[in-house]
Amino acid sequence: MDSQLVEARALEAEITALRRACVEPPAPGEDTSRVRKSFREIYQADSEGWELSKDLRSHLGHLESELQFLSTLTGISIRHYSKKTEDLTSTEMTEKSIKKVLQRHRLSGNCHMITFQLEFQLLEIQNEESLSSVITDLSIIMEPTEYSELSEFVSRAEERRDLFMFFRSLHFFVEWCEYRKRTFKRFKEKYPEAVHLSEGASSSCMGIRNPSRPGFELVIVWRIQIDEEGKVLPKLDLLTKVPLQALELDKNGVIETAPLSFRTLLGVLGIEATLESLIKSLHTEASN
Amino acid sequence: MELANTLSQDGESRGGVLAHLERLETQVSRSRKKMEEPQSAQAEESALGTRIHELRRLRDKLRAEVKQHQASVKASTTNVEPDQTLEITEQESLKRKRENVKAILQAYRFTGISGKLTSRGVCVCISTAFEGNLLDSYFVDLVMRKPLQIHHHSIPVFIPLEEISAKYLQTNIQHFLFTLCEYLNAYSGRKYQADRLQSDFEAFLAGPLQRNSLCNLLSFTYKAEPEGQFFPFCARLLYKDLTTTLPTDVTVTYQGTDALSTTQEEQRAAHEDLFFTKPLHQVFTSFARKGDKLDMSLVS
Repeated sequence: MDSQLVEARALEAEITALRRACVEPPAPGEDTSRVRKSFREIYQADSEGWELSKDLRSHLGHLESELQFLSTLTGISIRHYSKKTEDLTSTEMTEKSIKKVLQRHRLSGNCHMITFQLEFQLLEIQNEESLSSVITDLSIIMEPTEYSELSEFVSRAEERRDLFMFFRSLHFFVEWCEYRKRTFKRFKEKYPEAVHLSEGASSSCMGIRNPSRPGFELVIVWRIQIDEEGKVLPKLDLLTKVPLQALELDKNGVIETAPLSFRTLLGVLGIEATLESLIKSLHTEASN
Repeated sequence: MELANTLSQDGESRGGVLAHLERLETQVSRSRKKMEEPQSAQAEESALGTRIHELRRLRDKLRAEVKQHQASVKASTTNVEPDQTLEITEQESLKRKRENVKAILQAYRFTGISGKLTSRGVCVCISTAFEGNLLDSYFVDLVMRKPLQIHHHSIPVFIPLEEISAKYLQTNIQHFLFTLCEYLNAYSGRKYQADRLQSDFEAFLAGPLQRNSLCNLLSFTYKAEPEGQFFPFCARLLYKDLTTTLPTDVTVTYQGTDALSTTQEEQRAAHEDLFFTKPLHQVFTSFARKGDKLDMSLVS
């Protein structure tokens, strides 16, 4: 019974390979080995080689599924990984049954729109009672570099050699970025004339205007910060752009206290409700 | 937290994870069913048989197409004799690919979250570290059902697992896992600091370090110099935020019977500051360094 499933799997893999062979434009010279390989893949199924490679193929297929699954589960996709091991055990250590090994790891991949490249060293010391593993060096390269909040965070992670904090904070940072993007997009779609996104959907600012009242603008600045401990927190501020005449008329100092009231409102209503109420308030002003 | 509520609209990651595991679950239950119920197995078999038949047909069709395609290139290929060694290299390349994928799967532990597929879902392994030292790992065995369930786990009882799963498990698995990661890493870090204090700086403490299992309430009597028999200070550290490794409340009191001199008061205040900003064992490392004799065993 199982063999039928395995055969089905192998057939699927073969069909994928055949489809690839159909699409590949044959180039002279260099690609002859590729052409022959595709031939091989076709004949593979009928030759004895099929027996061995079918197990390999299905096993590989299963492993690739597992990898895809982990990538979906964590939101982190690792594309390349390599490791070098160096044995640092001296003869003195061997006598005391102590083993010392230095591993150099290289890892690269992405978390949504951010790609990372890591290199770190892991020192493992094994003695009779215990094994200690310490990260002794960490270097991180991240792209895109437009997220200025990240460069400081990256140096801190490198300094502390805190690999896990790096990935954790990266995840939460990306989560907040996506949430900010979705929220801004939603408001832009709901109130196309009132809402203005200067840098497009990924911008950190949202402007609220009333087309019938030019000169007035509320700007919401939504930054995403990572603190010393790696905690990711949103920080929202309100900026007001108001014509001078209006300022003079503002006897109660509403505009002056607006940023503070904004903070209070955030605490009470939460981000989305606060933003929506601001947009609505500027909108209804027009009808007066 | 509103984040969870709004993200439930976009359950993409969860949908992807669930859908994938449902597929695998169906596969496993299908093969299990075949072993348990031979009659229904017959029906399953014929369905699978039909599929194989169709796949074979498609494969043959594609083979013909590829042959045609290759015929047009025949002129440029100089040697089309089947090469025995190529068959072996095919296997070699598959083996290499497999080793590569296996290695990447292993490498996931460096992100802090890795996992292995199980027959009922996935067993997630959360790793912890502090100051580059790799510490304990914990696991959570998830059962992929609606609703998602935790089959069993090795999370210590004083970590608010139920609270975290009630908030995020059903709506956002990633958030659930990374939040759990936060709590566990913080706990591991606090425990590491307390352990180091107890083992490396015993000489500086009068009596054992008082601590709770969550390691977020510590109290000890200590001195700041390696010499002397008098332990003038008593410290109480409280870590209200369970996701941090630095205390939120620090109280250092002077134990002496005589009046507190200005230098001692300065010391006391300076110590409070230190405990707020540096990990516990590092504070004591700096105490040890201040003395003229530098004990190398304390510098790690």
